Amino acid sequence: MKKIRFVTDSVCDIPKDLIEKWDIGVVPCYVNYGGKSYADDGVELNREEYFKQLADMPDHPTTAAPPPALAEEVLTKWFEGADHLIVITTPAKLSGIYNSMRLGGQKLPQDRITLIDSGQLSMAIGWQVLIGAEVAAKTGDLAQTLNAIQRIRDHQALYAGLSTMEFLRRSGRVGWAAAGIGALLQIKPIVKVGGGEVVSEARVRTFSRVIDKLIELAHQHAPLDKLAVLHINNLEGAAELRARLKDIMPEDTITTGCGPTLGTHIGPGALGLATVSKSWKA
Amino acid sequence: MVVEIKRQVCDGHLLKWLMAAGLAWLENHRKQVNDLNVFPVPDGDTGTNMTLTLQKAYEAIAQMDESHFGVVSAAVAHGALRGARGNSGTILSQLFAGFAESVRGHEYLDLPLLVTGVQRGVEKAYQAVSEPVEGTILTVAREAMEAVTAFDPASRDLKTGFEVLLQAAYESLQRTPDLLPRLKQAGVVDSGGQGLVYILEGMSRLLHGEPITIRETALAQATPDDWQEALLPEDEEGYGYDVQFLIHGEQLDVNQVRHDIEAMGWSALVVGDEALIKVHVHVHDPGQPLSYAIGLGAQIDDIVVENMQLQYQSYVQARIDRHDDQLQAVEGVAVIAVASGDGLRDLLKNEFGVAAVISGGQTMNPSTEDFLAVIDRLSNHEIILLPNNKNIQLAAEQAAELARNKQVRVIPTKTIPQGIAALMEYVNLRDEPMETIFEGMREGMREVVTCEITTATRDALIDGVEVREGQYIALINGQLRLAESELTTAVTQALQKAGAGDYELITVYYGQQVKPQQATSLQAHLSEQFANQEIFLVNGGQPLYPYLISLE
Repeated sequence: MKKIRFVTDSVCDIPKDLIEKWDIGVVPCYVNYGGKSYADDGVELNREEYFKQLADMPDHPTTAAPPPALAEEVLTKWFEGADHLIVITTPAKLSGIYNSMRLGGQKLPQDRITLIDSGQLSMAIGWQVLIGAEVAAKTGDLAQTLNAIQRIRDHQALYAGLSTMEFLRRSGRVGWAAAGIGALLQIKPIVKVGGGEVVSEARVRTFSRVIDKLIELAHQHAPLDKLAVLHINNLEGAAELRARLKDIMPEDTITTGCGPTLGTHIGPGALGLATVSKSWKA
Repeated sequence: MVVEIKRQVCDGHLLKWLMAAGLAWLENHRKQVNDLNVFPVPDGDTGTNMTLTLQKAYEAIAQMDESHFGVVSAAVAHGALRGARGNSGTILSQLFAGFAESVRGHEYLDLPLLVTGVQRGVEKAYQAVSEPVEGTILTVAREAMEAVTAFDPASRDLKTGFEVLLQAAYESLQRTPDLLPRLKQAGVVDSGGQGLVYILEGMSRLLHGEPITIRETALAQATPDDWQEALLPEDEEGYGYDVQFLIHGEQLDVNQVRHDIEAMGWSALVVGDEALIKVHVHVHDPGQPLSYAIGLGAQIDDIVVENMQLQYQSYVQARIDRHDDQLQAVEGVAVIAVASGDGLRDLLKNEFGVAAVISGGQTMNPSTEDFLAVIDRLSNHEIILLPNNKNIQLAAEQAAELARNKQVRVIPTKTIPQGIAALMEYVNLRDEPMETIFEGMREGMREVVTCEITTATRDALIDGVEVREGQYIALINGQLRLAESELTTAVTQALQKAGAGDYELITVYYGQQVKPQQATSLQAHLSEQFANQEIFLVNGGQPLYPYLISLE
């Protein structure tokens, strides 16, 4: 029975109580605006306030990976008392976090640390970490734990419905919603994350259609083992999603706010769903 | 001209004359038929649509010297099917098509054949309409058919049979207001039915030797399909030069100069007096008239020489470029949409990847042939048509049926906002198979409520709304809902009636006649009225309709 511990980054959006429950190390990412840099650690930056101000910021903020030294600090701390460390990160294709973690972990014995590019964002990273931690606690077996994480990846989905194209445009990531559309008309994109990429899933014109579409997409993945309802300062929308997903919603469904690293690009008002289908267990 | 049916049969030559007479009589009454349009909106008029359809039918036989009745009928049907415009025009073309089908192979038309022909025509016309409405051209055609069916076939009297047909059509037309309340309310008979009666009446007048003014315009051979051929210079040396100059002199002989100049080229115009002559002439060698004038011992002045051959070539090139510009290459399933206005055209092509936009809608209803021409030019094998107007639907459906070697389907969009709602799904389903895209678009078009604001073309009382010519009127999902003298009031009230407060997004496409500032101030006004809705402004540039508005 090995003691396996987990480290991830703040993009994972795992609620605080679960972070504590599963003893997870979180390396914060950074947001830069107004000439300053803020760590997304729940102390330096208040997520709710940040998103309230985002629309009116004169220069659109940029997001940054944590420095390798910071990653090293967290990794070293979590390594103490662990037989093995599993590090699950934001995709290398989207961020420098993976690289910071790799550099930060170089001094640790490489046979006792496993670095995984989640290929995902937000609670879709979160589910890999949480379910991985659960399996590790139950089995104490590295191979079984890594195998579970792989199967979750194959049976999970993450969708985000945006209330506007505005923030994609400001952060230069219009490509996420596919180019060529949305310049002349009001378009609200629904994006899908997978394999380290954000791609356009659908484009609709009203937010009520965004919700319809998210509901429809979630049902395509039912029956669900896990579900996280994500939002950016949109509790009302999250509540509507929950209400309309009652038929397929697992008991331990999580509602949580999405952090600034992803949120800066997709903007306030957005809603999302991170699903893990029951089929991952089969 | 008096043409008599000496024998009780009709051949191809006579059919040609009958078609000419029917067309001429309809053309003479085009305005009367247009005036019967119940809806006071400036959309494709029935009289115009039917005349243009019949014109195409006649053009198909205008150059024919053929006595075989079946052959001429088939050509008429072919021309009408392709030239079909508007719903009445399309139904008319189906009448011809059914008729031609049943007389195929017959050298002459006799009474029994007339009966079966008309029967088949009516059958086809009814089939063309998904939900046939009584009190329209369909009823008039059907009741005329029933009357001629009941007429004693043993009499072999073709001419009287035809009169029975006409008389019954006429009587049926008078009854159309009893079948369609909106006709009764407007105090008119059905316009399409009236068009059909005029066609039959024209034919009958010819048979009776009554005068018909056959206007050249109606029967003029239309420009050949190939416009490039039509523009080819007659002279094999090309269009040459346009030369203009003034001759200053003393005791000039204008008549002599004119005579000499005329001999050098064509389109000569020489005017003036002893002291000053203005010369205008088209020549291949511009030096000739100039040297001639110098040779007179005179001074020349204000010399303008233009190369018409180059002008012609660049015109042709520009027109070809413009023509090609109309098509946008897309992979897989292509969409052809009908719209007018630069803004809407750009929106459809750039935002939604529409392969071709056919002009029309509010102004002119494109014909089946207009659709077919674009369908042919696209390299795609699967094509979806968006008519975006109720009165273009049948012509589009007919084009879908006539298209060869391609799978063409019609999404029955009646308004531009419906078309755009359907296109949202086209964009979303881009990589799916044709069937999925088609179903998705058909679902998508229902996601929207349309308000159309235009100007009433006549006084009317419809659905309890009293309309005066020139007033702004609002249609909500095609239903006339209000008339107002002031534009902003008309828009605001229309949106209230449409329940805009229950929707999320109000998109306002402003038309050609609306200045951007006007549109912006309307937007500001609407933002106050509908504080919970997003108001989005798009420059549509559409004619005749200051505002098209979608509620989502």
